[in-house]
Amino acid sequence: MRRVKQLNGSQQIGAAILACLVGFAFLEWLLNGTDPAVQNLGNLFAAPSLAEPLGTDQFGRSMLARMGAALRLSLLLSLVCVLTSATIGVALGVLAGWREGWIDRIVSFVLNMVLALPGLVLILLFAGLAPGSLLMLYLGISLVLWVEYFRVVRAITRASVASSPMQASRMLGFGSFYCFKRHVWPALLTPVLTLAAFGAAASILALAALGFVAVGLRPPTAELGLMMVELFPYYSEAPWVLAQPVFAVFLLIIALNLLAGKTK
Amino acid sequence: MIGLLLRRLLQAAFVCWSIGTLTFILLRLLPGDMEFRIAAGRYGHDNVDLAAAEAVRAELGLDQPVWQLYLNWLLDLMRFNLGDSLVSGLPVVHEMLHLLEHTLMLAGAATVVSLLIAIPVGLYAALKANGWFDRLSLMVSAFLRAQPIFMIGLALILLFSLELRMLPVAGFDGPRYLVLPAISLALAMAAVSSRVVRHSASEVFRSAFFTFSRIKGLTFRQAFLRHGLRNCSLPVVVFLGIQLASVIEGVVMIESLFSWPGLGHGLAHAIFSRDVPMIQGAAIALGLIFVGLNLIVDLTCYAIDPRSREAA
Amino acid sequence: MTALLQLENLSIVAGDSVLVEPISLTLAKGQRLTILGETGAGKSLLIQAIMGLLPPPLRRQGTVRIVGQDIDTLSRKDQQRLWGHHISMLPQEPWYSLDPLMRSQQQVAEVYECVQQERPDQANVKAQRDLVGVGLGEAGHRLPGQLSGGMAQRLAFCAATAGGAEIVLADEPTKGLDISRRDYIAALLRQKGEDGAVLTITHDVEVARQIGGTIMVMRNGRLVEQGNAESLLGAPSAGYTQELINAAPESWPSVRRHQPNVSRATVLEAQGLEKTRGGKTLFKELDLVINQGEIVGITGDSGCGKSSLGDILLGLLPADKGRVVRAPGVAPYKYLKLYQDPLAAFASAASLKQLFDDVIRLHGLDARKVPPLLEQLRLSPALLDRAVHEVSGGELQRLAIARALLLEPVFLFADEPVSRLDPITAREVALLLTQVATEHNCAVLLVSHDPYLVEKTCDRTLALGAPE
Repeated sequence: MRRVKQLNGSQQIGAAILACLVGFAFLEWLLNGTDPAVQNLGNLFAAPSLAEPLGTDQFGRSMLARMGAALRLSLLLSLVCVLTSATIGVALGVLAGWREGWIDRIVSFVLNMVLALPGLVLILLFAGLAPGSLLMLYLGISLVLWVEYFRVVRAITRASVASSPMQASRMLGFGSFYCFKRHVWPALLTPVLTLAAFGAAASILALAALGFVAVGLRPPTAELGLMMVELFPYYSEAPWVLAQPVFAVFLLIIALNLLAGKTK
Repeated sequence: MIGLLLRRLLQAAFVCWSIGTLTFILLRLLPGDMEFRIAAGRYGHDNVDLAAAEAVRAELGLDQPVWQLYLNWLLDLMRFNLGDSLVSGLPVVHEMLHLLEHTLMLAGAATVVSLLIAIPVGLYAALKANGWFDRLSLMVSAFLRAQPIFMIGLALILLFSLELRMLPVAGFDGPRYLVLPAISLALAMAAVSSRVVRHSASEVFRSAFFTFSRIKGLTFRQAFLRHGLRNCSLPVVVFLGIQLASVIEGVVMIESLFSWPGLGHGLAHAIFSRDVPMIQGAAIALGLIFVGLNLIVDLTCYAIDPRSREAA
Repeated sequence: MTALLQLENLSIVAGDSVLVEPISLTLAKGQRLTILGETGAGKSLLIQAIMGLLPPPLRRQGTVRIVGQDIDTLSRKDQQRLWGHHISMLPQEPWYSLDPLMRSQQQVAEVYECVQQERPDQANVKAQRDLVGVGLGEAGHRLPGQLSGGMAQRLAFCAATAGGAEIVLADEPTKGLDISRRDYIAALLRQKGEDGAVLTITHDVEVARQIGGTIMVMRNGRLVEQGNAESLLGAPSAGYTQELINAAPESWPSVRRHQPNVSRATVLEAQGLEKTRGGKTLFKELDLVINQGEIVGITGDSGCGKSSLGDILLGLLPADKGRVVRAPGVAPYKYLKLYQDPLAAFASAASLKQLFDDVIRLHGLDARKVPPLLEQLRLSPALLDRAVHEVSGGELQRLAIARALLLEPVFLFADEPVSRLDPITAREVALLLTQVATEHNCAVLLVSHDPYLVEKTCDRTLALGAPE
């Protein structure tokens, strides 16, 4: 609760939007038993009604169920990717920034390898060699994302370790754990949280992008990018259905961008 | 200066090696026999039989030990022998050159358009910082940044091709086909870079040295031309270097959307049809463009900032 | 004789609060006026108000006349037209006020070009002449980042005055400069005041004395007294003025320390130290013995390696040659450092109380030792409840001293411990430091660019020469 109060106005708006989306995805799973894959060819593009609050798609599938499933997929994947990449990036970044020496050199070498390629191309390579595999997507996205944490965390750790407050603590006799707790960790917290919000947005966009170029997940999975491609041909027939995944991605990204705060 | 070139050259070699290795490893990691997969890629899943797989195995020498296959793979790479496309049968290098041309055309046009949007918008927003124009441009930028880049393209297609019928939807057959993809990419780029221009320009306007140049007696115009421009272009150029990664990503998306015959579309297409040599070729080509663009950014910074020349 | 600059009841307000109380002054050709007072006394605001550079929430009241024109009758544009032509300003932070990407001479030459409408080649000749005039003849091709603080300020002086402005305002123009460089700038201002008019703002009594002319003493935005430089500094009538004069290290009392008994133990010994930085040998074959409870001063101009020597003695920086030996059997945490910026000594994320408790817990100290120690340093125990950023620099430096003394150290390296503090505070902190350290039998290595400060507080002094 204390953290929420520390957020500025636009960050609070971002947090609120995100909470609504998570709430929708969770409650839909809890309360709505409809299978997102069940087709009803007699009920194509039904307008929103009490039974189908969000209408139906080109196969008569429940959009409420499909949007819930797609949001859960995007949110969960981004959460797992962010947790993985943040853990690896922060751990290696602290290690490399603190110890320098060979650990730093090895990790920086790997870093250069990953950096030599634009992220999406790397994710595409991973996804492309095992199409439709969520695991490969997860690995690819995490592999691209950890780099940013590593770079930032390494730089901050280096600066903290070389800083005079930490020098002073060392002279006073404090050990490494204390120095980490008092000097490095407080300096890391905010930038890492900001990166996490941007990273979540990046993984949601990557997932949608891959679905869009047809090398990501395969139909009939309910995935936001995939839904956009599938529904685009019907843009004049059923604009409200196409608008749903478009709007959902927009809300997700803007919420995360707002939450991340000012871009540097 | 030499060190700068050398570093990027090393990185280029690194790109080729890492992508080559990655494609090699990923190819071997996949479940199933490789000859079957290649054969399936070539002849379609229904036409694969033992004989076809054997033929592939013999042709590619797949019964050699792994390390030897890897060495051969790297040697081929060093000779720029990227193999033939499994789909079209044409040499990959040849295809790449063709795609490269289109990608550079698209990326170049998009960069120019994005700068034409971002620089005036950013500068004007900085001049009237926190005024209505600044706020409006921030809102538009935030809106555009919250879209996957293909949504911007789709919206433009909807408006200009399908509704107004002013411009072609997709493909490439003359300059008219360049307009929509370039503008889509440019909008996505300008959404970010206009804010960077705004930020660095307002930093310069508020800086002590800018105020001091006015106090010396220079007019705003003189101070801006002599001190403002160069100082605020430096962070912008550095940022453009960072943005390059997203340009390449944007190229992949936009080319796929508009069926633009460039590397990004080629890559997505190759991945879809499991054409491994083409995947490797397109990924390497995109990686090399990335390194090349970074080099251009380095050289620009070098030209703008006398401090870097002093240090070198 | 017409007044070049005239202020009538000029005051500065923010909302309802008055930051600078009404002040009136007239400056004619050939006159110098110095406003003397501590930082934060609203002096800088005065100059910003005259230039029309007050940041938005602040407002100016009263009249400002520049070369006879009431600036309220001028549009903002016309007001700015006076800049460079009639009125100019010497910045407080010369480094930040120079274009980091433009070579020194060009920054002066462009003024001749743009303001005096000279041809580029002519402008360059004049700029070169100006730079030679302030001893920067060789530095014209350098970038500001390659200039020392004193050089940057001289360059800024040339640039500010090249447009031909008769009135020069200078806001703390000698901040952070070594004494010889400080005197150079003061001399330039004095000279400028002879054919124009100079208004200087400073906290440095010596600078005010050297510039001469009239002095106005200000405190908390209020005029304390004014008068001719010589008579006012010779016989001040206000107590505050006397305090300011006493705050200059020249006027500090020499600390009469009880004669140490001869057989004091050595706490630190350095043999044959050598250090090279950027191709310059800072010192070589340097031997130094520091005995228990002794206060040793190190002086020298900035860049001479004073701080590096201290860091080498503490083992924070490797020496190129030689070795440092500590007294045997003394715990490593009894060798400590005080920083120039007291903020540099504390983790900013924790409260002061937390940081003190950390030290007490780590070394199993008696928490009851803290209040008497704070009292000794004239600190209120309530300060500990605040965060690091919520106490003043002087208080924080004394808290740093207190935290160090908790550990009963044998050696303290104090790196310019008071140079960031106001003169009156600096005096208090410096005298307290040496006094309390002596009471705790702790040796102090005091580094300062001010030879007077070291002379008045230390038992003996080591002067490091300027780098070759």
